[in-house]
Amino acid sequence: MPLLQHLCQLLNDSSFGTMIRESDYAYSVIESVHVLAITLVFGTIAILDLRMLGLVLRPIAVTRVARAVFPLTWSGFAISFISGFLLFWAESAKMYTNPSFRVKLILLALVGLNPLIFHTTIYRRVHEWEIQHVTPWRARAAAIASLTLWSGIIIAGRAIAYF
Amino acid sequence: MKSRIALAVGLLTCLVAVPAAYAHHSFAAEFDGSKPTRLVGTITRVEWTNPHSYFYVDVKDATGKVTNWGCEGAGPGALSRRGWKKGDLKIGDAIVVDGYRAKDGSNLVDARRVTLPDGRTVYGGSPGDGGPGDNGTDQGALPGTSSK
Repeated sequence: MPLLQHLCQLLNDSSFGTMIRESDYAYSVIESVHVLAITLVFGTIAILDLRMLGLVLRPIAVTRVARAVFPLTWSGFAISFISGFLLFWAESAKMYTNPSFRVKLILLALVGLNPLIFHTTIYRRVHEWEIQHVTPWRARAAAIASLTLWSGIIIAGRAIAYF
Repeated sequence: MKSRIALAVGLLTCLVAVPAAYAHHSFAAEFDGSKPTRLVGTITRVEWTNPHSYFYVDVKDATGKVTNWGCEGAGPGALSRRGWKKGDLKIGDAIVVDGYRAKDGSNLVDARRVTLPDGRTVYGGSPGDGGPGDNGTDQGALPGTSSK
């Protein structure tokens, strides 16, 4: 058995994992928290992405929109990560082999890479273009990548139940 | 402006319509309502788990060949509310399951009506999954025992 699978099995069989898995209500409550936190992440990051595409809030500078949404986006991400990890804990042995879960993890890695590239390149010169209604193509590409990847993460996450 | 609105509508449609197609884990996603199946056998394994419970039954056919069948039911919360508690089903218990076969042809049924060893009959479907017996209530309707 691969080491990673062995670790997933240990996590799965731990008393805490079993408690969530066999609970009457905890699992569904955690699921709801996870979904609500995702709406916070996607809802707020989408505002920034749509601003960079020139679709909303065009008179407002990109940096102002970014500063307004980032605390909410990061809070949502922290809550969704913790609640998601609890759901994974409960079913980790199954998740190890779930193709949709693997796709979701890959997309999450990519969606993390996107702002890393964005902030080290075009965003360094943001003060040159922050008030432009339609931003430079690299900023728009990052916005489209973000919207696409986050949509993919939500779709893959939902599809976990079907494998 | 018009093209921007069109783009926004297009984007929103992509974001909204695609996940909607996945909806929730409904009966029809996995099971075939035209393939009712009755399993009579003995319990070999019980998984009292979220989001769905599973139990496994050894069924002997006319020739004496034993086949192990998986049965999917609602999660622990929904089953508990119907009076089916963790531990009610033990390995070796004799059980009758009326359900519907999986679309993929595997030895898996969605357990709609489960007759426990003590004679109690419990609706096993997930609440609101739209399958046979789902009457919009948490309790569901057992086939053959309710008027509707």
